[in-house]
Amino acid sequence: MMDALGFEFFRNALLAGLLASVICGVIGSLVVVNRTVFLAGGVAHASYGGVGLAFFLGLPVLPVTTAFSTCAALCMAWVTLDSRERSDTVIGVLWAAGMALGIILLDLTPGYNSDLMSYLFGSILAVPQSDLVLMAGLSAAVLVLAGLFSRGLLVMSFDAEFARSRGVPVRFLHFLLMGLVAVCVVLVIRVVGLILVMALLTIPPFMAERRASSLAGMMLLSAALSAVFCVVGLYLSYALDLTSGASIIAVACVGFVLSLLLPSGRERIAS
Amino acid sequence: MQHPAITIENLWFAYGGARVLDQVNLTLAAGEFLAVLGPNGGGKSTLLRLLLGLVRPGGGSLKVLGQDPGQTGGRIGYLPQFTSVSANFPITVLGAVALGLVQPGFSGLAGWLSPAARRAEREAALLALSRVGLADQAGRRLSDLSGGQRQRVFIARAIVSGPELLLLDEPTASVDGKSRQELMALLSELNRDMTIVMVSHDMSTVDGCVTSIACVNRSLHHHAESRLTPAIFAQAAGVDLKATCPVELVAHGTVPHRVLLDHDHPDCCGGTHRHEKRDEGDAP
Repeated sequence: MMDALGFEFFRNALLAGLLASVICGVIGSLVVVNRTVFLAGGVAHASYGGVGLAFFLGLPVLPVTTAFSTCAALCMAWVTLDSRERSDTVIGVLWAAGMALGIILLDLTPGYNSDLMSYLFGSILAVPQSDLVLMAGLSAAVLVLAGLFSRGLLVMSFDAEFARSRGVPVRFLHFLLMGLVAVCVVLVIRVVGLILVMALLTIPPFMAERRASSLAGMMLLSAALSAVFCVVGLYLSYALDLTSGASIIAVACVGFVLSLLLPSGRERIAS
Repeated sequence: MQHPAITIENLWFAYGGARVLDQVNLTLAAGEFLAVLGPNGGGKSTLLRLLLGLVRPGGGSLKVLGQDPGQTGGRIGYLPQFTSVSANFPITVLGAVALGLVQPGFSGLAGWLSPAARRAEREAALLALSRVGLADQAGRRLSDLSGGQRQRVFIARAIVSGPELLLLDEPTASVDGKSRQELMALLSELNRDMTIVMVSHDMSTVDGCVTSIACVNRSLHHHAESRLTPAIFAQAAGVDLKATCPVELVAHGTVPHRVLLDHDHPDCCGGTHRHEKRDEGDAP
């Protein structure tokens, strides 16, 4: 591990992984407790349209993808506003439409696009310093927004029907949450790629949910779990020459299975 | 003079085309305990959502505690249906009750609370928990509680803001018989301080503790009596008469029973005028 840290690309990869862990811990927990995993999946895949658009226009990928996936997320938030359960078909359509748009735009872009796969499966070992700065900025923005509205997000996540009856602006919070998911997805694309984003957004929060006694505790625990998965996965990827995103997810999946086999803390006390 | 708790005049509501509620009139005095009965799909929950301001009426007028629905904030306590909260949500009992103190509008969203405000919330939540008899469970995780206990936690959340009107959507669904009796005793006690409207399709809950009954099946019939007569029963059961056993209303205990209804029962789910006539005849 120590010799790997001597390389700048590995240090950058580690930092990117830890940033993604913090953000996934916070936003992933909100996604899981709000039961909007499918919606988040739709946002993640539709954001490929943003990647295509950036290549087609010859603009920097991260800002363009952020803007595109935020728009896609707000569209999906609008569609799911009043009937979250009945809108899965529309999400499915947007999911596929975004990806198709991305691929068509890449087809229309002259030249050979070797980067295509890296956005699908992550290219954490090639994160440049400039992306790292942008990632840190976006992470800070997401954390500040989530913290600012944490009470509202908690009330809505726990019981949206009750929140609505008390005059809490649940519609605004729904849009806010989807916007946060979009930014989070773009940040994590670099690390594990948009196809594997869902694993990092759902596995650590799922493991943390049973063991935490508050939403904040769940976020902290899932951020810590993500960090462990990222560090171990990255090291395995370096040592065994594997794709970084897939290694991280493989480690997370092993952790997931172990957590299902191990009783949670409370169950141990009870028995 | 005190406002009536609820005033409804000529209200109607439609999802898309067909009217779910039509020509609804109701004046409910403060201090009442109203049971809203009726078949599934008869409009009971819609009526509750109208009172909460979650949906807007198609026409007619509706005042709750003298105000428009949706403007009342913490003056109304609400117990949603049991299924609206996910079972694994990481929250303590105390934390869940404190969420009932959330302010309406954007001021309620802010994450930061002063230490004094935090303490005040904690004390209010503990007080509400002790009223429902769960003060000793405050620090436990909500998901570790039984169904009946959890329902009482949600009642504590509904009353933590000191409401004048309590709206309950199927409070006794999915709890066992003993918890059901305890819940009804608790609600009777709360009724001394606040008006209660309880939606239910479980007619065994309407046993003595309510002060009046409303049957909702597109229209609304308010019966100013607290016991179920056969006529009210038939109205409340609507078209589902055969699926519900009337013996449950008078039988206490565990003796198994089965009553087969006459097939020749032309007015069991007929027009409302007929029921009105029968009411007069059957009232004790």
